[in-house]
Amino acid sequence: MSTDVMIEASGLSKRFGRVRALDKISFKVKKGEVVGFLGPNGAGKSTTMRILTCFISPTVGSAKVHGYDVFDDPLDVRKSIGYLPQRAPLYTDMSVEEYLRFTAQVRHLDENRYKKQLGKVIEICGLAQVLNKDIGTLSHGYRQRVGLGQALIHDPPILILDEPTADLDPNEKAEVIRYIKEIGKDHTVLLSTHNLAEVEEACARAIIVSKGRIVADGPLDEIRAKTGSVRYVVTIDEQHAEAGQKPPTATAVQEAFQRIEGTKSVRELPTDENAHKFELSSAEDADLRAQIFRLVVSNNWTLLELERKAQSLDAVFRDLTRSDERLDRGEAWQGRGADEDEADEDEADEDEADEDEADEDEADEDEADRDSEAGDDDKSKSQKSKADDDDDDDDDDDDDDDRKANKEKR
Amino acid sequence: MSPMLTIARREFRSYFDSPLAYVVICLSFLGLGLIFFLWPGRGFWQQDRATLQTLFYFAPAGLSILVIPVITMRLMAEERRSGTLEMLITLPVKDSDVIMGKYLGALGLVLTLVFATILYPLFMFKFPWVLGTLDDGPVLSGYLGLILFSLAATAVGLLISSLTDSQSIAFFLTFFVLGVFWFSGIMADYLPGTVANVLNFMSFESRMEGFMRGLIDTRDVVFFLSVTCVALVIAFRALERRKWA
Repeated sequence: MSTDVMIEASGLSKRFGRVRALDKISFKVKKGEVVGFLGPNGAGKSTTMRILTCFISPTVGSAKVHGYDVFDDPLDVRKSIGYLPQRAPLYTDMSVEEYLRFTAQVRHLDENRYKKQLGKVIEICGLAQVLNKDIGTLSHGYRQRVGLGQALIHDPPILILDEPTADLDPNEKAEVIRYIKEIGKDHTVLLSTHNLAEVEEACARAIIVSKGRIVADGPLDEIRAKTGSVRYVVTIDEQHAEAGQKPPTATAVQEAFQRIEGTKSVRELPTDENAHKFELSSAEDADLRAQIFRLVVSNNWTLLELERKAQSLDAVFRDLTRSDERLDRGEAWQGRGADEDEADEDEADEDEADEDEADEDEADEDEADRDSEAGDDDKSKSQKSKADDDDDDDDDDDDDDDRKANKEKR
Repeated sequence: MSPMLTIARREFRSYFDSPLAYVVICLSFLGLGLIFFLWPGRGFWQQDRATLQTLFYFAPAGLSILVIPVITMRLMAEERRSGTLEMLITLPVKDSDVIMGKYLGALGLVLTLVFATILYPLFMFKFPWVLGTLDDGPVLSGYLGLILFSLAATAVGLLISSLTDSQSIAFFLTFFVLGVFWFSGIMADYLPGTVANVLNFMSFESRMEGFMRGLIDTRDVVFFLSVTCVALVIAFRALERRKWA
C-alpha cells in the first residue's frame, strides 16, 4: 500500500454489549497531516483511538497504521505511534526520569539515543524542573506533560493524542498547540479535543464524530460551509423609543423576527445593556440584513447593532452533534450511561458556559420547529426509545437534516 | 533487555518504592520468628530436634494467607483502575510480556522473602550458633517445595488480580482461594470418600508434606507447575478479554 497514508480506518464498528460505541467509521490520515478529532463526550473518539493503538479490537472492520494491520501486526503498529491516553495515566510511584527511562527501555532505545531524546523532550514539554520528582506529587498539568513526553521519547512518525490539552492552563495549552503545529510539519498527528479554538489553530482538517458516526470530515472551511447557515446579531433598545411610542417587549421583537421570511431560528442572547439582543440564523445564500432593518424601522424601534456573522466552528459543532446533547439532557438517557467519557463533561461546557442557557432555549425552539415539521411528538419519541435502545439512534436522527445523509436504515 | 524483564524489574522496584515491601518483609519475619520458636506443641524449643520442619509447615501457610494476597492484589487490579494498563499495553509489548513481567516482579519479592529464611538454618546450625547437626536433605527439598508453592500461589494471585479492578476484592478472593487450597487437606480429614480424595488432591498442604520430610515426588512437582501454568494462561486470557469486552 501507499506509504503516504499513515492511518487508515475502514468500516470500524465497536459494540460494548448493547451499546454501539462506533458505527462504521472510515477515514484516512495522510503523512504530515494534523487532524483534529472532535465530538461530544461519549461520541467514540477514545474508542477509535484505542482501536488504532491496538488496546481494544473493533467488532467489525479493520484499520492500518503506518501500513501495519491492527490485527496482524499490533507490535509494529505500537512501535510507530506515540500515544497519550486520556488524562495521562502514569505510574505515580516513579519519578519522571524513571518513567521516561522505563518507556524508552520497553521501546528498546539505546542509552545514547535516549539521552538525546530526553534532552529534546525536556525542552519541548518543559520538564526540567520536575525531572526527579515523583509523578504522584505533580499537578495534573505536569502529568499531562509527562504523558506527552513519553509519547515523544522514541520520535514516532505518528502521534495519537487523546485530549492533550485537557487540564492545562492557558499558557501551557498555547505551548502544546504551538508544539503540535511544529511537529505536524513532518509528523502525522491525530488529536482529540473539545476545545474548538485549538482545532482551528492547530489543525487543517477536522473529523467530527457524533454517537459513533462521522458527521463531518474535511478541511475546516468545508465543514463550516457544510451546515450552510449565517447568523445575525441584532440589538434593539428596550427603554427608549420615538416620542409617543412604547419601547418594545422582548417577545414582541422575537415574534416579529420569526415572521421574517428565511429565518431558521431566533434566540435571545444575554446582554448587559438595557436592550434586547437576538441571534437569528438563515440559510447561507440569503441576506436578511435589509429585511431586519426595514422591520425595525417600520416598528419605530431603535436599532443599536446589526451584524452578519459567518458560522463559527463552535456553532457547526453544536449543529452537527446536537442530538447527542439532547440525549445527555435526559431524553432517552438510558442505554448510553456506562460510557467512559462522561466524567469530564465539565471541560466541554466551560467554553460555552455563559451561553448555556441560551443554548437550551434554542434547542427547545428548534425541537418545537422540527417536531411540527416531522409531525412527531417528543414524548412518544422518548418512550419509544426507552422501549428499544437500538432504535433510538434512528429516531433521533430523523430530525437532524445533516445526519440524514449519514444514516443507514437497519 | 526484553520488555518482559523491563516490566518485571519495574514491578519489583515499585514494591520498594512504597512501604509495602518493607512492611511485608518485617512483619513476616517477626511472625515467622515467633511461630517458629514458640508455637505451642510444634515450636523449635519444644520439639528439641535439629529440624526445620516447623518452618516449612508454617511458612507456606503464612505466605498463602497473608503475604501473597497482599503482594499480588495490586498487580493488574491497580493498573486497570488507574488506567495505566492502557499506557503499558500500547507500548510495543505483547500481552504475554505484560503478564509474565508482572508475574516475575511479584515472584521476585515472594522469593526474596523465601530465600531470606535461609538465614534460619545458617545462623542456627552453621554460624554463630551450632545447635546440632542438621540433616541437609529435608532442608533442600523443603526449599524446593517452598519455591514450587510460591510459583503456584503467586500465579493464582495474579490471575485473581487480573479479573477485577478492585484491589480489596482481589485481596479477599486470593486470601480465600489460597486458604481453601491450603486447608482443604485438613477439611478432608472430616469428610468421607471421594470428596476427601478430591480435597486431598488439591490441597497445597498435603502436597508440601512430602517435601518437608525430604521426599521429592514428581506428582507434587507436576501439580504445582500445572497450577502455575493454568493460572498464568487464564490471566493472559483475562487480559486479552479487554479487546472484545
